[in-house]
Amino acid sequence: MTRGFQTQASGSGHYRNLALVGLAGVLIAIVALGTDNAFLLSLAGYTCGFALFALSVNMILGGVGEVPLGQCVFFGVGAYVPAIAMSRWGLPFEVGVAMGMAAAAVLAFAIGWLTRGLTGAYFSIVTWGLTGVAMVVALNLDITGGPLGLFGFSRLAVGPFNLTDPRVYFLVASITLLVVLIFLAHVRTSRFGHALESIRQSPHLAQSLGISVPLEKLKILVLSAPVAALGGALVLPYTQIVTPEVLSVMRTVEAMLAVLIGGTALLYGPVLGAVIFTVLPQMMDFDANVKMLVFSLLVIFVMIVVPGGLHQAIGMLRPARKSRVEA
Amino acid sequence: MELLFQTVMNGLVLGSGYALVAVGLTLIFGTLHIVNFAHGAFFALGAYVSVQLQSFGLPYLVVLPLAVVVVAIIGVLIEVLVVRTALYDRPEHGSIIVTFALSQAVVAGLVLLVGPDPLPVRSMFSQISLSAFGLFLSAQRLFIVVITLLVLGIFGWWLKRSVRGQQLLAVSQNPRGAYYSGINVPMIRMLSFLLGVSAAGLAGGLLAPIISASPTMGDAYVIVAFTVVILGGLGSISGALVGALIIGLANAFFETYVSVSWTPALGWILVIFVLLLRPEGLMGQKDLNRH
Repeated sequence: MTRGFQTQASGSGHYRNLALVGLAGVLIAIVALGTDNAFLLSLAGYTCGFALFALSVNMILGGVGEVPLGQCVFFGVGAYVPAIAMSRWGLPFEVGVAMGMAAAAVLAFAIGWLTRGLTGAYFSIVTWGLTGVAMVVALNLDITGGPLGLFGFSRLAVGPFNLTDPRVYFLVASITLLVVLIFLAHVRTSRFGHALESIRQSPHLAQSLGISVPLEKLKILVLSAPVAALGGALVLPYTQIVTPEVLSVMRTVEAMLAVLIGGTALLYGPVLGAVIFTVLPQMMDFDANVKMLVFSLLVIFVMIVVPGGLHQAIGMLRPARKSRVEA
Repeated sequence: MELLFQTVMNGLVLGSGYALVAVGLTLIFGTLHIVNFAHGAFFALGAYVSVQLQSFGLPYLVVLPLAVVVVAIIGVLIEVLVVRTALYDRPEHGSIIVTFALSQAVVAGLVLLVGPDPLPVRSMFSQISLSAFGLFLSAQRLFIVVITLLVLGIFGWWLKRSVRGQQLLAVSQNPRGAYYSGINVPMIRMLSFLLGVSAAGLAGGLLAPIISASPTMGDAYVIVAFTVVILGGLGSISGALVGALIIGLANAFFETYVSVSWTPALGWILVIFVLLLRPEGLMGQKDLNRH
């Protein structure tokens, strides 16, 4: 189905990674310095937050081959906790973000522990159910502001960096994304990353080799939750409001569509997908529902033709080119 | 007393809707081994096709069967275009993604075509109110329960007594064995999908006069139908019916006597608990939740 994590153990791989980080840095600089358009810059910042969420979804989808419909709960917690911390308890944004990430991790541990025996459609249905419960809870509680949600935050800043400035917002969001990407690249080449890859390819074989499938799945879920929460927190400066809608399963579906279009296999797949998913509809001035319709149909098409995402389509072209060179 | 009666009746009506949706779900899973996350979309389609047909001035009793036929045609198209090409003999997470994407596409399409606001469906039964022993009952509610029981009864009888029904059961038990016995497996699979989504469409058309048509109306029904299917067991139509009625009643009682605003969470919580406590129960196949 999906192409797995590929490892780069050789020395040249190390330099390649450095070059990739450098390239990402240049890209960030180009976007940050290349435009003065406030809207574009905040959209780019939002894209980074969304990309974090897509990465989190892909840690489960591409990581162990489960469909995590409930991932938006962690995204929503990541958005709600800082909002509540700021407007109800008067805490600074950074503290709220940290609390949100911690809360998401704890929640993920509880959910992961309860669903440790479930895979496939079961896992998807239960986590989908959780989004339904979370949304009803957010609609009914006072602390979450009910259906109107929370808005009018006094101070959105990380240390001296004021996130209401679009350029600062983009820089903070993109550098956070880059740091998370580097961290995930390290996870991928670790023993844990290899264990996950073996689970994705064949859970039975992995189990027979002494890998505890439920334990590794629990670990990746707990690891993915703070990433989603960070994404949820980083879209706050763009949206300026948190409503129960952030807990809707639609958010997960959006991230999943982005992941599937970018490709589930590689770390940059979800990021690429997130960029396509947010920038393209904006350029074409799509309504939210047109966007949903187009991308849903696109995903169905992709799943029929190239199940590994657009990345696989490029991969399919590549060997053909190589053989032509050899001949 | 009147409140109690009303609550029981609401529960039975709700349960009938759940039962129809659940039977379709169980049928599609049993023969195709696909957990159809798009099932709620067909439920909504049934309601919206009814709205559309009614706008041509057709009476409800003509609209309802026509709506089922239209949903069945859409079902066949989707089976041929998507399900057959993308989902058979593929890993499970592919079918989850594709059916879920399909449901989102239908919901988005409905919002674009007719708007997000609920639309009413008129039924001549809605105006009629039956009274007995000093209690009042809308004829539409009675109509829903009667039609559901009738359809499920005929369907159960068809599965047990007809050659096609037996073939369908054979395919669900052992597709390869059925194939070697000369059963046209692709045709039976298509028939199952068609019947399954038609049941959802019928439920949508039946319930629309009470709950109105809205794009995401299927979500709440489908999640409860999952619970029913998990509890009920494959091919057990009576099991699905009893399960659906019990959950419908529980829902109605919770709504009346506990809290209206928390009721939407009940279905979700039920499915979570059923899956956590009895995960092997989905259609009684213990190895489903493994790859």
